[in-house]
Amino acid sequence: MKRFAHMSPDSLAAATAALRDTGAAPVGGGSDLLGMIKDDLAAPDRLVRLTQLSGLDTIAPRPGGGVQVGGMITLSALSRHPVIRDRYAVLAEAAGSVGTPQIRNAGTLAGNLTQRPWCWYFRQGFPCYKHGGTRCFSRTGENQFNAILGGGPSFIVHPSDTAPALVALDAQIHIVGDAGDRWLPIREFFVLPSEDVSRENVLRPGEIVTELALPPRPGARSVYTKVRDREAWTHAVVSTAVVLTLDDDGDDPGVCRRAAIALGGVAPIPWRVAAVERLLVGKRLTPELAAAAGAAAVEGARALARNRYKISLVSETLRRSLLSLT
Amino acid sequence: MGRISRRSFIERTGALAAATTLPTLKMRGAGQPVGDQPADPAPRTRISLRVNGETHALEVEDRWTLAEVLRDHLGLTGTKVGCDRGECGACTVRLDGTTVYACSQLAVWADGREVSTVEGLADGDRLNPLQQRFVEHDGPQCGFCTAGQLMSASALLDDTANPTRDQVREGLVGNICRCSNYNRYVEAVLDGASPDAASARALTTVGVLTPRIDAPERVTGRARYTGDVRLPGMLYARVLRSPHPHARVRRVDTRPAERLPGVRAVISRNTCDVVWTSGDSRNDRFLFNDPVRFVGDPVAAVAAVDRHTAEEALKAIVVDYEPLDFVLDPEEALRPGAVEIQPGGNLATRGRGVREPEVYERGELDAGFAASDVVLEDAFTSKHINNAQLEPRVSVARWDGDRLTVWTPTQGVSNCQRDLARDLDLPPADVRVVCEYMGGGFGNKNQCQDSDLIAAVLARETGNAVKLEYTRKEDFLGVHGRWPTRQYYRVGATRDGTLKAIELRGYSGLGPHRKSSGGIAGIELFRCPNVRRVVHPTYTNMTVSANFRGPAYPQGVWGIESMMDQMAHELEIDPVAFHLKNVSRAYMDETPYTSWALRECIERGAEVFGWASRWRRAGAGEPAVRRGVGMATGAFSARTGRSSAVLRLDGDGHLWVHVGVTDIGTAAKTTMALLAAEAMEMRLDDVRVVWGDTDRCPYSVGESGSRTTVQTGDAVLAAAADLTQQLSAQGPPRGDAVLVAEATTNPRIDGMARYASAAHFVELAVDMPVGHVRVVRYVAVHESGRILNPLTAASQVKGGVTIGIGMALHEELLYDRATGIPVNPGYYGARVMTHLDTPEIEVHFVEPEDAYGPYGAKAIGEPPIIPVVAAIGNAIFNATGRRLNELPFSRDRILETLA
Repeated sequence: MKRFAHMSPDSLAAATAALRDTGAAPVGGGSDLLGMIKDDLAAPDRLVRLTQLSGLDTIAPRPGGGVQVGGMITLSALSRHPVIRDRYAVLAEAAGSVGTPQIRNAGTLAGNLTQRPWCWYFRQGFPCYKHGGTRCFSRTGENQFNAILGGGPSFIVHPSDTAPALVALDAQIHIVGDAGDRWLPIREFFVLPSEDVSRENVLRPGEIVTELALPPRPGARSVYTKVRDREAWTHAVVSTAVVLTLDDDGDDPGVCRRAAIALGGVAPIPWRVAAVERLLVGKRLTPELAAAAGAAAVEGARALARNRYKISLVSETLRRSLLSLT
Repeated sequence: MGRISRRSFIERTGALAAATTLPTLKMRGAGQPVGDQPADPAPRTRISLRVNGETHALEVEDRWTLAEVLRDHLGLTGTKVGCDRGECGACTVRLDGTTVYACSQLAVWADGREVSTVEGLADGDRLNPLQQRFVEHDGPQCGFCTAGQLMSASALLDDTANPTRDQVREGLVGNICRCSNYNRYVEAVLDGASPDAASARALTTVGVLTPRIDAPERVTGRARYTGDVRLPGMLYARVLRSPHPHARVRRVDTRPAERLPGVRAVISRNTCDVVWTSGDSRNDRFLFNDPVRFVGDPVAAVAAVDRHTAEEALKAIVVDYEPLDFVLDPEEALRPGAVEIQPGGNLATRGRGVREPEVYERGELDAGFAASDVVLEDAFTSKHINNAQLEPRVSVARWDGDRLTVWTPTQGVSNCQRDLARDLDLPPADVRVVCEYMGGGFGNKNQCQDSDLIAAVLARETGNAVKLEYTRKEDFLGVHGRWPTRQYYRVGATRDGTLKAIELRGYSGLGPHRKSSGGIAGIELFRCPNVRRVVHPTYTNMTVSANFRGPAYPQGVWGIESMMDQMAHELEIDPVAFHLKNVSRAYMDETPYTSWALRECIERGAEVFGWASRWRRAGAGEPAVRRGVGMATGAFSARTGRSSAVLRLDGDGHLWVHVGVTDIGTAAKTTMALLAAEAMEMRLDDVRVVWGDTDRCPYSVGESGSRTTVQTGDAVLAAAADLTQQLSAQGPPRGDAVLVAEATTNPRIDGMARYASAAHFVELAVDMPVGHVRVVRYVAVHESGRILNPLTAASQVKGGVTIGIGMALHEELLYDRATGIPVNPGYYGARVMTHLDTPEIEVHFVEPEDAYGPYGAKAIGEPPIIPVVAAIGNAIFNATGRRLNELPFSRDRILETLA
């Protein structure tokens, strides 16, 4: 492994100051970054550790409703937290679907959101767009797991499970850097390759994700469905994050009042399907409507040579997810 | 540096011998003491680690992982490193109680925290209850994953006192076991189900459920594997590999690397042309080749004071490549105009200089097809997959004067010694090979490996002991896996279901070297008067392919059993009835078997499985989730052959069994001890096995080809017979006296074939709209003669079946066709089976009498994987009415084919 220096700053200010240096990289659980360094895919000269910073690994109620989740919370703690399990099941399930117990014990929410792509070509060090090159090898290569929506010029899919869950929850994300901090709607956090092919999110060098704010969703039910090509320890082939508010009583039980849906494993960013949400709102969630929603979710999808199967797969997965909430 | 060839190697050997008496004759770096630090130190931090209750203050490099510090600096080698990327789980430890991958934690992150490792579980020599259950339930096969499984299981049980089966599988899912003994690990944690019960027997030791004798070593971390060996002054070595599938090596400039502080030697084709004989039986395969012929072909090797310095040195080596055309597909490689990979063409020769495919024929093929009512044709494509044993390749070499000692994870210390001596031109007596414990191999640790030779050369160059480690990626690319095939079949039968003709034209991709046969086996399972099989073992620029459990069978049996299943379907005959009518009764319809119970396996399996009530003709029904059943058969040689054993009975009443086995996870040591105890009518506790060291053990056939039980077992029984005679003549030895019996046996079986056989039955559910296959039930019935130890034999079956399911559903080394570069090497990319992928596998044995082998025992290591892919493919056909002709049956293929 390349040599680097390691530091554990004792305050957020010290951490962001340390991250000003070129060559410094923030590290949480390290599951992704250490592997990247070992494979010569990342070459930081200094690692700045964040998990020891106080207050970044907690879950707390927010004034006015909702909860605040620290970016350095482990995926294990997140998936087991009673409030998250109770009110934000989609996020607990997404966090619990990552990797293995060992990975979830070390890995953080912020790290899961900011991990680099798992496209075969990127991980094998091909000189692709993501490594500063001028082509996407997956486009004409082994693209079984690449994008069917939003691709081009790079066809990576966003690898995070928690990202579609947070998008479907309309979370806000807090970004802190040496020059200041900002809150963003999570949807604005992710960057399509057509906007900037070198990055997957808006973080500027030295910036870190410190916390996420989940808005209140009283009465909502939610589910994360992850399709894998072995029963554990892989990224999603496709996934769906669904948050629905259905009328429980009154004259129209089962009528959808509010819907938020994001797809994982299909696009370079978690893929919000607003048209599907509009299709659902105001209607009773019947098997027919669920099927129509599944079909609408893949409108505009374009397959590469080896990933056509993803189109019907994500459509069917969404149909089943919706019905599982009725 | 002078050139190192076999010849100059001897001269160099002489030179060093002289150097010991003539101090003025200097070899660069010879025998220098090795400090911990290179001249240009990397950033360091002082930390305090509490490990298993003991506090250690130490200074670590910031980049060192916790696994590295535990193993290399605290000597706690019970924690294993299988992948160094958080993809296998072997390094699982507990950090403040929670499980983490120690390879993916920096040591500085553990500063001030409590680390628990496998070494902390036992109380002195007393195993903790979980370890005890791991022993009794036969948890560890090779044992390399065991520490990790134990740490995950401990954490689970601390959290959940009485977990359900599913909770156990979830809790341990982050721990790969490539021996795939998942069922056993789950049983051990649950401690509910007892291992399969054995029937009553006349014999006292043989045939009884017996935990392996070395299991306590494997559950405590005391078992020493090659990677755990540390010697004074030991250097670390790394290999530089080709990034091109085929290229001329115009120039290798090693000087920038040699100039780096801490680097002690760099070798390449410039200085070394040692031939690795067992790397290719037809062509000269050098340690460093020009041209390089696959991505991963070694180009140079470095020895340095530590592994990080060695890795940095690799990056300093400058290589000028001239890329050449390449070809990945064996059929394309045989077309006119294809680039020539080895001199003389891409059809791998039958012998040196012969350029013909392998042909087997009996009867008149055309007449057979003319006499058939139904003739079916189809083609099948199987893929290269890696053996993926948990223990990566590692070799440690040390010279003591002219004598070489190599510690290496080998399946055969004797053949490894022979190969090293031949390739380095040394007398065999001057080569010692040691393998105390080894972490699996499944056929890719046969003989001597290039790593053994490279470590030996570097050790000679530097005068220090050298440890050469391969990364997991190197193990996937630089070491061989299963050969890919394309199989074209034509099969003819009459309406009543009688086979009339079988034709197979097959191609197997060997990679650029012929390291094994590249055969396509399976037609021998069927009785048929007219057969023609033509197989083209072919050179390609993929990574090398050779032996992987049941080498030629799983892919070939998938092809032929798919044809038979289709034929039964076309003829509207139940596949079980079709098999009972058509399976082999004499080997190749010609040679009688010593014993043969394949029909009984089929009948027994059908009965246990409830085949008659579960099977219906394929294609009926249209539900989203479709159930299907399938069956297939297999057979594997259980021939007798040469091996040796030495038995010594001492005055304390201990029987010492010296055998050259290494025990790759099959429980070979335990089997040898059982045989000796049975034959000598002694208690197993009084038997001591001496193994894995050419200085202490006689010749042994390698643990490949499932031969150890039969061949070395026969030698143990012969030695025991001799010892029994001595005992009755002289009485038991007293005091320091020892009775010794040596035997070398090579029993001949004239005019008969000796085979083990199996029939497998599977039920699965295919969720059509999402392309998911779930194995619902798996029944494996095996005939392996007498079962010497039903506990470990059933573990072999469970493991083999599970690896086979992974081959069927998940695994494939994918190549980028434009560049010839493999894109998914490693456990994550291979989708190796996990706890959650593994169904409960029911194991049954049929035990006919057999006049050969120890107490009539046959082979059990390789047979279990053989029928699996075929049985699953047939069940998918039964469920869906569609046959998948390309492996693996992955979700994308299922959806694309069945949509």
